[in-house]
Amino acid sequence: MTRATRCAVVLLALLLGLALIGPWLAPDPLDQPDLLGGALLAPSAAHWLGTDQFSRDVFARLAAGARISLGIAGGAIAIATLLGTAIGLLAGGARGRVADGLRRLIDLILGLPRLVVLLVLIAGLGTLTPATLALVLGATGWPAIARLVRGETLRLRETGYVEAARALGASPRRTLWQHILPGAAAPALVAAALGVADVILLEAGLSFIGLGIQPPAPTWGGMILEARDHIAAAPWLLLAPGTALVAATITATLLGDGLRRRLLPELR
Amino acid sequence: MTPLLEIDQLSISFPHRDGPTALAVDGVSLTISPGELVALVGESGCGKSHTGLAMLRLLPAAAELGENSVIRFDGTDLARLSDAEVRRYRGARIAMVFQDPMASLNPVMRVGDQISEAIRAHAAVTSAVARARAVELLAEVGLADPRSAVDAWPHQLSGGMRQRVMLAIALAAEPDLLVADEPTTALDVTVQAQILELIDALRQRRRMAVLLITHDLGVVAGRADRVMVMYAGRIVESATTAELFAAPRHPYTRGLFASIPRLDADGSRLVPITGTVPPPDRWPSGCRFHPRCPLAESRCGTEAPGLVATPTGHAAACWITAGSGS
Repeated sequence: MTRATRCAVVLLALLLGLALIGPWLAPDPLDQPDLLGGALLAPSAAHWLGTDQFSRDVFARLAAGARISLGIAGGAIAIATLLGTAIGLLAGGARGRVADGLRRLIDLILGLPRLVVLLVLIAGLGTLTPATLALVLGATGWPAIARLVRGETLRLRETGYVEAARALGASPRRTLWQHILPGAAAPALVAAALGVADVILLEAGLSFIGLGIQPPAPTWGGMILEARDHIAAAPWLLLAPGTALVAATITATLLGDGLRRRLLPELR
Repeated sequence: MTPLLEIDQLSISFPHRDGPTALAVDGVSLTISPGELVALVGESGCGKSHTGLAMLRLLPAAAELGENSVIRFDGTDLARLSDAEVRRYRGARIAMVFQDPMASLNPVMRVGDQISEAIRAHAAVTSAVARARAVELLAEVGLADPRSAVDAWPHQLSGGMRQRVMLAIALAAEPDLLVADEPTTALDVTVQAQILELIDALRQRRRMAVLLITHDLGVVAGRADRVMVMYAGRIVESATTAELFAAPRHPYTRGLFASIPRLDADGSRLVPITGTVPPPDRWPSGCRFHPRCPLAESRCGTEAPGLVATPTGHAAACWITAGSGS
């Protein structure tokens, strides 16, 4: 494990700690304004990260937002990876019309700007829960993984051991499942880990333009949006979710890198 | 004895959209009897590997089998079977071992699992039985510690050990014919001899026929019952190993022998065959060896000689040395 990967593991522990035990530690119950204390308070012992314009504790919102934002990112990536691996494997392993159709579908979706597709889907869905947002992000994220897995499948199909398996009478389905999937899954996992950073930023971006999870539910992107009006008076409002976002993105990227070093030894 | 495998007029072509069709294999016929070791010898690009792959119908998708090609194995013409029907022969009746043992084992599966897979692909046995059988097979192919080798990953084994594992996998379903395509080319010379020894021992113990495809006449000497020499998609000479080594009849075969270094030679220089092997889409007319042949006459460039056999079955395709067609 490199030093960068060790840093990432520590960061991951901090982020998971924030999401799991943060709400329990937070001095204020969620969304219960500390009206006595007041709005836009600077960080103090009572409010570790200060309060926002509605007198809510920023640390409590950051912790609750971690659950939502990281949960959506994890869910979306899990969906995209499963879907992308299955479709990519089929697109690379099948022949004829199925393979052609899937390849075109992948290219078509990759050719559309993802944000525009997301806006259309979200407009069609109306109100979003974290689960539906994860579903929408996963449903638009799979083609990148599918294209990678398809390429790997095509490559592995020509390797000596796949040919040897065929020579010994293995059926096409068995070859794909037993001999190609394990080899193609490693790059898919690496791409998934690296993709987590994208999804975190995408979800924050959607919340920032007001199309993600709606307030008062706390998300990191939404917190940045709300902090914008008070950037001069209360910069901690922006810094807290901003720092968390950067930390989460760096963690995902470094972990993805570490995973790649471990799973794809030919890149060493 | 009825032959186990009878290939008749096997032709394999690679049609090219805007160029000449490459005829990689052109009218090859050969037979293999049960328990016999036949060697198919030739340079790279002569079509010997495609001949081997054709037996299991493993040719690349772009390849076309000639209309008259017959691959009769144990009474069934494999050239006429569907893919699903051929699969019942692959591994079960005819097994194949490839050149590169580094590439032929799945790097993310344990050795024992890969052998078990081959066993269970053709027999309904439990995984415990298959595993026990895998240990037996590893012992049979001469791995020193089969009980620990069964749990090893491919990268933990040396090249020679991997080729032994490949042989164990090939033997898993007790095939009648083993097609070994350059099984020793990727190995060290000392290991080569051991693997050939092993293949020979296995075929005698199991009465299994072997088609040994190689570019190395030295591999053939002393082990093969019969040798077929291929050049540019055709068989140019066919004989028992003893006869071929004692008196090669085709100028190409003679050229091959002249270019082998010998320990007992008097220090004379090796004589290489001049020129290079022509590509399959530009075979020369007539006898395909004539541009490189020291004996070539005018008719060699226009008419293709057929195989002519002596009473002992030593066949060669040459107008000059074998009197083809006269």
